[in-house]
Amino acid sequence: MVLSIVLSGLAIGCVYALIGIAYNVMYSASRVFSFTAGTLGMIGGVLGSLFILRMGLPVWAGFILALVGGALLGVVTEIVAVRPVLKSLDQHLYVLSTLALALIVQQFTAIEWSTDAQPFPRIFNIERNSFDQQYWLPMIACVVVIVGLELLYRRTLVGHAFRAIAEDNYAARALGLPERNLRMASYALAGVIGALAGFASGQMLLAFFANAPLLTFYGFVPVALGGMGNNRGAVVAGLVLGLFQQAANFLVGGIFASVAVFTVFILVLLARPDGLAGASAGRRV
Amino acid sequence: MSKLSITRRQALKSAGAAAIAASSVAKPAIAAKEPILIGYLPALTGPSSSTGVGMTRGAQLAVDELNKAGGVDGRMIELIVRDTQSDPTKAVNATAELTRSAKVDVIFGPLNSGESLAVVPILARSNTLQIHPCWVDSLTDPKKYPLCYRNAPTNQQIGRASNRYVVEVLKKKKIAIISDTTGYGTSSLNAYVPMVKQMGGEVVYQASVDAANPDLKPEILRMQAAGAEAIMPWSVNAGFLSRIINTRGQMVWDVPICGQTTLGSGQTQQLLEKPEYWAKVYPNNFRPVCYDSTGKLPERARVFVDRLHTLKIDMGDTLLWWIGVGYDTLYMIAEAAKAVGTDTKAMEGYYNKMKKFAGVYGDISFTPENHDGYPDDEVVMVEANSLKDGAFNLAPGYGV
Repeated sequence: MVLSIVLSGLAIGCVYALIGIAYNVMYSASRVFSFTAGTLGMIGGVLGSLFILRMGLPVWAGFILALVGGALLGVVTEIVAVRPVLKSLDQHLYVLSTLALALIVQQFTAIEWSTDAQPFPRIFNIERNSFDQQYWLPMIACVVVIVGLELLYRRTLVGHAFRAIAEDNYAARALGLPERNLRMASYALAGVIGALAGFASGQMLLAFFANAPLLTFYGFVPVALGGMGNNRGAVVAGLVLGLFQQAANFLVGGIFASVAVFTVFILVLLARPDGLAGASAGRRV
Repeated sequence: MSKLSITRRQALKSAGAAAIAASSVAKPAIAAKEPILIGYLPALTGPSSSTGVGMTRGAQLAVDELNKAGGVDGRMIELIVRDTQSDPTKAVNATAELTRSAKVDVIFGPLNSGESLAVVPILARSNTLQIHPCWVDSLTDPKKYPLCYRNAPTNQQIGRASNRYVVEVLKKKKIAIISDTTGYGTSSLNAYVPMVKQMGGEVVYQASVDAANPDLKPEILRMQAAGAEAIMPWSVNAGFLSRIINTRGQMVWDVPICGQTTLGSGQTQQLLEKPEYWAKVYPNNFRPVCYDSTGKLPERARVFVDRLHTLKIDMGDTLLWWIGVGYDTLYMIAEAAKAVGTDTKAMEGYYNKMKKFAGVYGDISFTPENHDGYPDDEVVMVEANSLKDGAFNLAPGYGV
């Protein structure tokens, strides 16, 4: 039983962490919490199933196309739902615009894809066992994203530019950095990460339009717990959330598991409003 | 130009004369040809839409047939469809529009209990005749909702058939009952737990679970630990049901799964990890649309399926009884309209005395005291893995 809790808890925790990272990547570039993060995850699963099962493309092609689809949705999010409201961030209009776009994509998917959960293909043709690919694929995806982002942010010029924008976009712009292009690139990157989360967890969550609100909701918890914009915090909080959720599923079960998760979430935020790994930013007055 | 011009007074006179003429002479003729307006409230999108998609195929076929045959005494059937999107709020809004703006004669639907729970009282207040196929028991009440009729079984009938099959035919006494957290799921759980106990079974495990939960192993392990000999899931969510079946298969746990019809749907089938996991899964179904032990459908259903084949109406991704309900309901309305017209009181009187309306899906009868029209003995269990053309073989133990 412990093995089951750990495996499924870590797997779903990695998915939450990846969605949390997608939130953070978009937030760092624009100071906007884009509630399309869960939709990016849903799209990854649906496109993977569409390209591989329905269209019969090879797995590698379906995988790449699903990520491209996620990147495109990320760019569309930036253009349609984020850019128009950037000038009035203090009015929090982005909540409405990003939620509206998420709902449009979700409903479009429901109508054009299916309103029922659809199967997702087996990625590797190997026999099922207790440590099945549906568990280790999200874990590998999470590790790849963490390492990839570390390398990108620390070892590449573009990564430094991303960090500069995240740190102080006015100063970065003054230095001649193309802020708008970097922001679009960040949203595309978030789209790839979200779609990767959906693709890697497709066998577990299936290709289902209703995964969007689920991932938007549960993916936000690691961000809130780990500190906004803090990827390491999101990963740790995502894994803890997944493990706690599965433990609650095993120990109390039924609907009480969700109640337990959100009770702990509220208690943590009451004790640490900036999240477990967050710190209050200094504010010039 | 000047010859054609008319004064305002002349225009008013002409209009007045036309109005008088229309009201005194032409109206009866026009009224006789007025279409029969049927408001239809299926969920065509959203998580509960499989039922609506299937029933709409039947309803549309019936409308096409009736209108092709000249309508009902020359009156065409006009089906005014509003997609509720599986959302009770949207169902309520659509109901208001259909009754107040479109002024429909009858409403068919909603097709999901959650939406009907919101809509039935509203239709009762607006004195609109309603026929729905939803199973939640409280959705008919001749005193509170005198114009509401159900042409499908109640949860009590469904539960009785399932529980009887598990306890009396399969002889399993220790039962685990699980539902999702929708209105249908929780009300079914609440209704069936006492029923199982009454029949001599023991409910060793019960739970309502979020249908989006990707891992149901904890629930199935708890059922196993409690000594369950059969699992009875109550949900219309194919993802949720397939996860139960897959988890049982992965655990190589050989207990029967008996319950909701969606256990046997094409959507559930395509989510199974292995085809053999569908063995020993027995969903509810209805004898008039099932294959007997010789592999034959009853005559009425056979003729209907032949017609569906001829018209190339897809049955592979839906259930025959869903198409049947949609088809039968439209004919039931047409039959009443033909007999007594579309006056609400007259239709109420007709339905209150209706005996054995011969539908594809079953023989429907109502009385003034009972608006639940489906017969008990036609609710049966079937073998899920025998699905062919949307219909199933009767489960072992029913004979021919």
